[in-house]
Amino acid sequence: MDLAFTPEEQKFREDIRAWVRENLPKDISGKVFNSLHLTRDDHQRWARILGKKGWLGYGWPKQFGGPGWTAVQKHLFEEECALAGAPRVIPFGPVMVAPVIMAFGSPEQQQRFLPGIASGEVWWSQGYSEPGSGSDLASLKCRAERKGDKYIVNGQKTWTTLAQYGEWIFCLVRTSNEGKPQTGISFLLVDMKSPGVTVRPIIMLDGGHEVNEVFFDNVEVPAENLVGEENKGWTYAKHLLSHERTNIADVNRAKRELERVKRIAKSEGVYTDTRFRDEIAKLEVDVVALEMLVLRVLSAEKSGKNSLDIAGLLKIKGSEIQQRYTELMMLAVGPYAVPFIKEAMEAGWQGEYVGAAYAAPLAPTYFNYRKTTIYGGSNEVQRTIVAQTVLG
Amino acid sequence: MDFEFSDEQEQLRDAVRKWVDKGYDFERRRAIVKAGGFDRSVYTQLADLGLAGLYITEADGGMGMGPVEGMVVMEELGRGIVMEPLSHALICGGVIGGYAPAAVKSAWLPKIASGEALVVLAHQERKSRYALDVCETKAAAAGEGWTVTGAKSIVSAGDQADAFLVPAVANGKLALFVVERAAGGVATRGYPTQDGSRAAEVTFKSAPATLVTNDGLAALEHAVDIGIAATCAEAVGVLDKTMQVTVDYLNTRKQFGVALATFQALRHRVADMKMQLELARSMSYYASLKLNAPAEERRRAMSRAKYQLGVSMRYIGQQSVQMHGGIGVTDEYIGAHYFKKLTQLELTFGDTMHHLGEVSARMQDTAGVFA
Repeated sequence: MDLAFTPEEQKFREDIRAWVRENLPKDISGKVFNSLHLTRDDHQRWARILGKKGWLGYGWPKQFGGPGWTAVQKHLFEEECALAGAPRVIPFGPVMVAPVIMAFGSPEQQQRFLPGIASGEVWWSQGYSEPGSGSDLASLKCRAERKGDKYIVNGQKTWTTLAQYGEWIFCLVRTSNEGKPQTGISFLLVDMKSPGVTVRPIIMLDGGHEVNEVFFDNVEVPAENLVGEENKGWTYAKHLLSHERTNIADVNRAKRELERVKRIAKSEGVYTDTRFRDEIAKLEVDVVALEMLVLRVLSAEKSGKNSLDIAGLLKIKGSEIQQRYTELMMLAVGPYAVPFIKEAMEAGWQGEYVGAAYAAPLAPTYFNYRKTTIYGGSNEVQRTIVAQTVLG
Repeated sequence: MDFEFSDEQEQLRDAVRKWVDKGYDFERRRAIVKAGGFDRSVYTQLADLGLAGLYITEADGGMGMGPVEGMVVMEELGRGIVMEPLSHALICGGVIGGYAPAAVKSAWLPKIASGEALVVLAHQERKSRYALDVCETKAAAAGEGWTVTGAKSIVSAGDQADAFLVPAVANGKLALFVVERAAGGVATRGYPTQDGSRAAEVTFKSAPATLVTNDGLAALEHAVDIGIAATCAEAVGVLDKTMQVTVDYLNTRKQFGVALATFQALRHRVADMKMQLELARSMSYYASLKLNAPAEERRRAMSRAKYQLGVSMRYIGQQSVQMHGGIGVTDEYIGAHYFKKLTQLELTFGDTMHHLGEVSARMQDTAGVFA
């Protein structure tokens, strides 16, 4: 047992840190540090910088052009990026669909799609949830009918994150109504420029346009865009979910945001208030405990000796912590969280702030982060899964 | 970064677990509680396994092991809700070994390691609560040696121990002494504690004392930190068993014609208990792995750990009792004894609110496992 990273891991961390410091544009990290609005261009610029270095697909094996890092190295990379104020890598391409294409796609699909994902050129979206299928995803209805060498897709996806930028979308579609709901689902890659695809914004409670509805009206999709076998899509989607275990906890970003909570609390004069300070102290212990939990999972993966089946716990705790730090930041500015000035959430706004500039995005971020305990399998679904592992 | 146990550590765990299973079942424990809450022959058996000398060098008759081994042992003793205070052997072995002059080491360490001497930390006072720098007990020079005068409170197995590790103020500064119970001027008033074990009020009237170190506060903080890490590990053992009996009960007990484990209201609470258990285990690892860190970092880590353990112990303890229903509040059921042990462990070496205050006071701009 040893808490310290090995000298090699430490060296790896320092190399990453130096590279990120050198290559992450300051205007982008400035926005991240202050929860200001990130544009498509901001995301794309950082994605292309990573892509050029071969690190956008930082979880990829060498065989597909990735760095072939260990679980610990991936963690260290994520940590250094988060602490430096890098935007979250938009996961749909490099983290979500790419591993599925690697594991189940044809060589042609791999050659066709992976380079554009690795370079950051092509923006992918995820078509899973539907109006009637949230936590009960397997009940999805969006239908793909095989007609010759095409699928005809009809139906609707929703909560599609940043689909307004999407060029391709990977969808779970129903190809059969036989048997259990899970067994009639297929994994289909759809060009969003196809006739019949309509993206409609959903404006969220913070005023932001982060998610969309995507409608499919007799959309023709070449049959060669089916990943793997027809009606096996559920298995592939589950593979995707099991692929990323620790980054769901988002502990590295939590460490960065805990620092911001303290900065804001200091600036607002509540850091010396015992009642307020104790709440930060609780969050600090939560963050350290979550980090230990993450490190235990990484250690178990490294040793290959035992598997720690606690992905559900990581999701629950990680999301609760995310909500808590947004809440504490809002509470720290108190009444100055009340004014809602949308322009003040854009970088470089020249208008007059009410209170400190950092106060403007705090309530909207708090509102926005209520999503974290809902998406990715709601925390109630996670508890059901955890209970299953404990009680049988 | 590696959280796997070595083969030797697994063997140590097996040895202690075997001893607990064979030598310390619920009936045996119950008999010890009835007889006053302390059995010297049990303590001797622990010492015979080498456990009392875990933190004492081999040259001084110990095992020369470290915090991870201490953690493994305490987890197993926790699983058996063992009452004999081995944690104090870890504390006194560690602190005398780390701070005392050679003569004091050679006088006490072999005896602690062999179990011949049970030495316990006697640091709490009526006015100190959990503070370590509040001390009314005084030490005075007497010829070559020292005498100690004052009163210590809730001393583990205080009327059974052979000697005490006692903080006292000497020349305006906290120092640490060893005082033998059989020495003149020492009086004890023993009583049972909530978990079934024993403690005592101990008074010293010009009792002859041996100086361990003039650097008393640093040594006492270290002593308590060894105690905190041991308590966290012990708690994890108790929590594991609490969880286990609760899960067994929910899967066995039927109401409305079905097992309790089928009710989602209970299942989700079990998920929350599992969360608290794994956070607790993580922070117990953290405490033990930080026990040899520089003082400031070590102190911060111990408070973070004890806070988490306190939260976890209270949640899992209370929920376990609740989910057992009536049987959970009876003396005949082992779960109730886990609950009482967890409660007492929360109140040992600083409760949850105290350590939250410590974390709060020690916060830095950056925080994490490594900061």
